[in-house]
Amino acid sequence: MSAVVGARPTSPQASNGRPSGPFTGTGKLLRFMVRRDRIRLPAWVIGIGIFVPYFFTAFETLFPSEAELAELSAFTSGPMIGLLGGPGYGLGEGLSYVTFFTALYVVYFMLAAALMNILLVSRHTRVEEQTGRAELIRANVVGRYAALTATLIMAVISNAAVTLLVLGGLLAFDAPTSGSLLVAVGVGAFGMVFAAVAFVCAQVSEYSRVGSALAGAVLGGTYVLRAAGDMSSEHGNLLSWLTPYAWSQQTRAFVDERWWPLGISAVVSIALIVLAYRLSDRRDLGAGLRASRRGRASAAPWVTNPIALALRLHRGGIRGWVFGLVVAGLVYGSTTGPFVDSFADMTGTMGEMFTTGPDPVLGYLNTLMVMMVIAVAVYALLAVMRVRAEELDGRAEPVLATAVSKQAWLAGHVLVTALASIVLLVLACAAMGLTAASSTGDWSLVGELTVAGLVGAPAVLVIVGLACALYGLSPRLLPIATVVVTFSGLAAFFGELLELPEALLAISPWHYTPAVPGEAITAAPLLVQTLVALVLAAVGLLAFRRRDLVAT
Amino acid sequence: MTDVITIENLVKDYGRVRALDGLNLSIAPGEVHGLLGPNGAGKTTTIRILLGLLRPTSGTVRLFGEDPAAEAVALHRRLAYVPGDVELWPNLTGGEAIDVFTRLRGGADRSLVESLAERFDLDLRKKGRTYSKGNRQKVALVAALASEVDLLVLDEPTAGLDPLMEAVFQECISEAKAAGTSVLLSSHILAQVEVLADRVSIVRAGQTIETGTLAELRHLTRTSVTVTTEQPADALADLPGVHGLAVEDGQTRFEVDGEHVPIVLQHLAPLGVRSIVAHPPTLEQLLLRHYGTGDGVPSASAPRPAGRARPAEPARPGHTSGATSRSGR
Repeated sequence: MSAVVGARPTSPQASNGRPSGPFTGTGKLLRFMVRRDRIRLPAWVIGIGIFVPYFFTAFETLFPSEAELAELSAFTSGPMIGLLGGPGYGLGEGLSYVTFFTALYVVYFMLAAALMNILLVSRHTRVEEQTGRAELIRANVVGRYAALTATLIMAVISNAAVTLLVLGGLLAFDAPTSGSLLVAVGVGAFGMVFAAVAFVCAQVSEYSRVGSALAGAVLGGTYVLRAAGDMSSEHGNLLSWLTPYAWSQQTRAFVDERWWPLGISAVVSIALIVLAYRLSDRRDLGAGLRASRRGRASAAPWVTNPIALALRLHRGGIRGWVFGLVVAGLVYGSTTGPFVDSFADMTGTMGEMFTTGPDPVLGYLNTLMVMMVIAVAVYALLAVMRVRAEELDGRAEPVLATAVSKQAWLAGHVLVTALASIVLLVLACAAMGLTAASSTGDWSLVGELTVAGLVGAPAVLVIVGLACALYGLSPRLLPIATVVVTFSGLAAFFGELLELPEALLAISPWHYTPAVPGEAITAAPLLVQTLVALVLAAVGLLAFRRRDLVAT
Repeated sequence: MTDVITIENLVKDYGRVRALDGLNLSIAPGEVHGLLGPNGAGKTTTIRILLGLLRPTSGTVRLFGEDPAAEAVALHRRLAYVPGDVELWPNLTGGEAIDVFTRLRGGADRSLVESLAERFDLDLRKKGRTYSKGNRQKVALVAALASEVDLLVLDEPTAGLDPLMEAVFQECISEAKAAGTSVLLSSHILAQVEVLADRVSIVRAGQTIETGTLAELRHLTRTSVTVTTEQPADALADLPGVHGLAVEDGQTRFEVDGEHVPIVLQHLAPLGVRSIVAHPPTLEQLLLRHYGTGDGVPSASAPRPAGRARPAEPARPGHTSGATSRSGR
C-alpha cells in the first residue's frame, strides 16, 4: 500500500498502461446488459411497435370510410379527447386515420415507452445494487459511472428502436413523412425523459421498488395534470405544458408541425441525467440518499386479528391510492366549469355524447365518475394480486400456521379490499364534486357526486368478488379478472362506438350501474350487484378452504 | 397418553408426482424428534400437511389426536411453527412481525420476546426487507419460542444462523424440552439433531426408511476402530463383519458391523492391545449410508466397490463435509 504513495500517476493511466477512469468497463457492462435483456427488451420494443399496424388495420375495418371516422371523432372530441388522448390536434378539418391515431392513441405508445424505460433503468441500476450483484461487478475493473452509463446507452438504444419501429409502422400506412417522424421521435423522446426521471429516482432510495414507484408516480401525476390542462382548454394550457406529454404532443404532427417542443424533452432529459450522475457521487454503493428508517419494536396494539393484519398490510397502498385518486378527482372536477363554457359552442352531434342525462354537465360528470369506478376497480384488482403475492412469496404460510383459518385469512384481506374500494370511490367522487361545485357554483354537485360514488361501489365489489373467487379456486386464474376489468373499462368508453353486441357489454359490471349523477337511482341493479359480489366472494372462500396452499 | 403426532401411511400426490409415498411418523409427548432427509425427501410436505395447509391424498394424520385440516385453528393455538425459508413483510419491522405471529397464536409475554431477541442478538426495529436470511430466521424463532405451546414444529430452523446463534438455539430447545414441550425438528444439521433429538426418523423419497433412538439406529451400522497392537492384526480382516482393514504407521484401522463387535474384541485381546480408539458412527455416516444407496436397505450399505482393499476412512470425511456444507446452504 505504502508503495503507492509518491507513485501517484499524473494521468488517469493505471499501472498496466490501460486507461482507467470513472467510465472504465462501460462497454463490457453494456454487452453484458444486452445479453441479459436479449429477450425482454426486444419483446418490449416489438410489443410497442406492433400496435401501430394493429390500430391502422382495426380502423380500416371499423370505419371503412373517413366519413364514418368523422362521425366518431365528433363523438370523441373536446374534454373526452383531453381526458383520454391529448390536446386533440387534427380532429377537425383534414381528419384522417393518421390524425385520428395521433390525437387519440399515440399517448398510449408514450405511456408504454415510459414504462419500458422505468423498468429498464430500475433493473440495471438499483435492483443490481439491492441484490448485491453490483458489488461483485464494481469489485472488478469497472469505473463508478460505468453501470449508469451502460444503462443510459441501453435506454438510448431501446428508445431509438421504438422510434424506428413506430416510424416504420406509420410510413407503411402511407402517413406523411415529416409528421410520422414527429410522432415517432415524440414517443422515443418521452421514453427518454422517463429514463432520466427513473435514473434520478433510482438514486433516492435503496429499494428498487421505491425508486420505480416514484418514477411511476411522476408518470401518473403528470398524466392527470396533462388531462386537466387538455380538458379545460382547447389544445391544452399551461398545465399541459408543465408535463412531458405536451413536449411530445404539442408538436402538432400532421397539422401545423413544429419541432421545438421536443427540444424541451431533450434539455430536461440531459439535466435530469446530469443530476442523477451528481447524486450517484454523493452516496455509497447500495445506499440511498435518504437512510432507511428504523421502525417500531412492537406492533400497534390493534393488530390482533386477521382483519387488522390485512389492514396493516394494505394500509400503505390504500393511502397512496386515496392521495392519487383524491388529487385526480379534484383536478378532473375543476374542469367542469370550463366544460360548461365550451358546451355553449358545441354542435348538436357533440351533445349526443352525453345521452345519459338531460343535463350535459351531469352527463359529463357521469363520464368522470365511470373513470373513477374503473380506477378503483384497478385498485381492487391490484389489492387481490397482493394477497396472491402473500401466498406465493411464502408470507401466508407462517400466518396460517397460527390460530388463523384459511377462510379468515382470505376473508380479512377481501373485506379490507372491499371497504377500501368503497371509501376510495366515495372520497374520489366527493373530491370531484367539490371542485366541480366550486367551478360551476352549483353546490348541490358535492352531494350528488358523493352519492354517485356510493352508487358506483357495488360494481367495484363485483370485481372484488370475482377476483376473490378466481384466486380462491387457483392463483393462476386471477389474470381472468384483469381481462374482465380491461375489457369492461374499454367497453365503458368505446363499447357503443364500436357497436359491441349486448351480450359482450353485459360482462361489464358497471354496465348496470345507474348513470349518476343525472339518472334516477334504482335499487334493483345495486342489490343484484351486491348479491353477485357476495356469492362470488363466498365461492372464493370455500374454494380456498378446500385447495392446497401453493408452496414455494 | 396419546401421541402428539401420529402419521400412518401418508401419501401426497402433486398431480402425477408422488411427494409422499406411505410415510410414517409418531412423536410422544415431551419428545424431541429429528426428521432427517435429503432435499425433496418430503420433510416440508409432511410438515405442511401436519399444519393443515395441504390435504393428504391418503393416509392418517393426527395432531394431538385430531385431524389437522379440520381442526386447524384450535390445534394451531397449541403449536408454533418456524418455516425453513422465512419470508417477512418488507415494510413491517421484525418486532411487529413477531407480535403479529404471537398475537394471532393467542398472545405471548412481551418481556420474553425481548429477552429472546437479546439472546439471539436480533434488532427488533429493522424493517423486514433489510434483514438478512439469518435475521429473518431469528424473527421466526423468537416468535415461536416466545409462545407457550405444547409443540414446536421447526423446519430447518437454523439455516443461515452462525455457530454462536446455533448454540443459543440448542440452549433454547433444551429449555423447551425441559419444560415438557414436544419438538419436531426437521434438519440437515446432523450435529444439532444428535445433540437435541430423543428419536430420529430418516425420510427418503417420501418414505420413512428408519426410525428409532440414536442408540437403536447405531446398532444398524459400523463402529470405526483404530488399534495399536504388539502383534500384527492383519488376520482380523478375515473375521465376519470387519471391513476396510488397513495398516498404517503401526496402527490398524477397520470398521466393524455392530453385531460383530464382541467377536472382534475377543480376537483383539490376545494380540496385545496398546491403545484402542472406537468411534460410534455419526449421524452423518448413518445418513450417507441411506442417501448413498438406491434402496436404503442396510445390507446394501457402503457403496465402495474399490474400498475393500483400501481403508475407507480417509474418503469419509470428504463425503461428510460435503453433506454438511450442502445442508448449511
